[in-house]
Amino acid sequence: MKAANSRRKIWVLAGLVTLTLAGAAGWWYRSLQPGTLVLRLHATADHEPLVYNRFDYDNPGGDGQFRVRDFQFFVSNIRLVSKDGVHEPVESYYLARFDNPTVSYEIVLNNVPARDYNQVEFALGVDAEANGSIRSVGDLDPNGRMAWSWETGYKFILFEGALQLNEQVIPLVYHVGFDENYTPLSFSRDASVEPLSTSVIEFSVDVLQMFKGHETIDMATLPDVKFDRDDARLIAGNLTRMITP
Amino acid sequence: MSRTSKPCLAPGLSTITRGLVEKGMALKGRNLIAAALAAAVPLAAWLAYTHMSKPRPTPLQGFSAPFVFGRFSVPEANPLTMESVELGRRLFYETRLSGNNQVSCATCHLQHLAFTDGRRTAIGVSGKPLAFNSMSLANLMWGPRHFFWNGRSESLEEQALIPIQHPDEMDQDLEELLDELASQPEYVRLFAAAYGDISAESIASALASFERTLISSNSRYDQFLRGETRLSDLEEHGRKLFMAHPDVKVSLRGGNCIDCHSQFLTSGFNTLFDGFTNNGLDSEVDLAPGLGEVTGRHEHRGLFKTPTLRNIALTAPYMHDGRFSSLEDVLDHYNEGINGSTTLSPLIREAGNDEGKPSDRISLNLTEDEKTAIIAFLHTLTDEQFVTDQQFSNPFLEP
Repeated sequence: MKAANSRRKIWVLAGLVTLTLAGAAGWWYRSLQPGTLVLRLHATADHEPLVYNRFDYDNPGGDGQFRVRDFQFFVSNIRLVSKDGVHEPVESYYLARFDNPTVSYEIVLNNVPARDYNQVEFALGVDAEANGSIRSVGDLDPNGRMAWSWETGYKFILFEGALQLNEQVIPLVYHVGFDENYTPLSFSRDASVEPLSTSVIEFSVDVLQMFKGHETIDMATLPDVKFDRDDARLIAGNLTRMITP
Repeated sequence: MSRTSKPCLAPGLSTITRGLVEKGMALKGRNLIAAALAAAVPLAAWLAYTHMSKPRPTPLQGFSAPFVFGRFSVPEANPLTMESVELGRRLFYETRLSGNNQVSCATCHLQHLAFTDGRRTAIGVSGKPLAFNSMSLANLMWGPRHFFWNGRSESLEEQALIPIQHPDEMDQDLEELLDELASQPEYVRLFAAAYGDISAESIASALASFERTLISSNSRYDQFLRGETRLSDLEEHGRKLFMAHPDVKVSLRGGNCIDCHSQFLTSGFNTLFDGFTNNGLDSEVDLAPGLGEVTGRHEHRGLFKTPTLRNIALTAPYMHDGRFSSLEDVLDHYNEGINGSTTLSPLIREAGNDEGKPSDRISLNLTEDEKTAIIAFLHTLTDEQFVTDQQFSNPFLEP
């Protein structure tokens, strides 16, 4: 009877040890799994969600009100920095646009190593190498709306709309995309990516900053920016303050 | 209770019944195993039968598309197969698809006109001119993901059944059509090989498959892109103008075409509704509903699908309502005939090759030579191989 009891105890103990080991292995395996990081961009103007197709906004540098018909830009070359290393998703070219009910755009990064990141970096625009290529990578599409032509590359940022000034309606066309307008951005932002779960970082994209960052622009005197490098530089210089976490 | 008296499809039931009656007791383990085995036999037979009777079509051979056209996708539920394309081609030219058995898809989509009909607007079984110009069918896997001029259909499959049933187009009752096709042994065979059965869904799938194979990629422009030929000086001048949004500040002259027609496909853009434009055909009071009819959005009034310009020299008359009879008329429209409205594209409103600011009268201000050059370039988009390719021609005329 005694022998049977101790045999049972051994079996119970062995079972417990096996369960513990399996649990530990499972936990260890899970800890090695990547997670998902979402960069969620919200388009705003005057601290409110951007409203399309209404003359709701004042000309930043002059008289009149303007409306936005289209607003989109490329986000590229994302880097997530932590003290344990840098994660760079491949082929990260995203065309951010906000003409949807939530006025937002999500970049969903899957398979992100689970770490505590403290810095998020990406660029506004397309790097020179990709800008000079006709390969369809990420959202880059040489037959897309952001393509100028294969000799000229991509628009980095596109803003189209109209300015109402007295009785006049002036079309607004801002297409910016010379190689020198490529704008790397870096944000000190803690983001903990946990295994098999999703973390979100919210960003605000203030459209008005395009026209009143370092340089304030009167839309009546500069209603379009396309291939003039000095004009393009004016807008591109303002982009550094357009996105904030 | 004789086992042989039972129909062979239910031997499992027979065994269970026999077990219950003979033993006069509830099922035991042995009976359960026997019952399971007996039940498995007809199940396996049924599975084998359905598996064998399901068509196993051949993936389409020799299919290719130019690199510069970019990515494309085929619906998972309707893969491109030899059988579906063959069936789709036959259906495309089949007059039984119409109520009076006189009109087929090819009545309004003629191959030698790059699958248009040369009419201002199409005419179907009712004889009444329709509201819209017949669209060219080429490179349909690229460009806008919404079909018809106002974008009311989101797939080629969905699109295919609409003209068939429209009272003024083909006016066919789908049930009647299924009966008519089922009465033809050739169709029974073709449907069985491609999809298994004759159904409205199979008809739509087959037509969509055939349409996906209509790829035009051997025009002189394509040959130029592949480095196989040179364009003449006039055509090259036209190409440069086509590809440029004008900017007076840097002395860049442009025809502004690329703002709506992508550089390689020459179609509208494939993102959301970016492939739809108000190109200044009508003033505010005359704006047609256009895309707005589909989206319900005020800012989409007067927007229509930007068509491919492939084979454009063959597809007159032009615009959604066929209002322009020649490319010269089209160029004149863009150069000096734009009508202003609240939904007019700002890219058209703003573009100009003159020093003046956009005013009430909108003009590109191209010279006659520049217009001629753009038209010369547009002629390089004609693909003789496409409009004579036997694979796309009427199979009923084959010997």
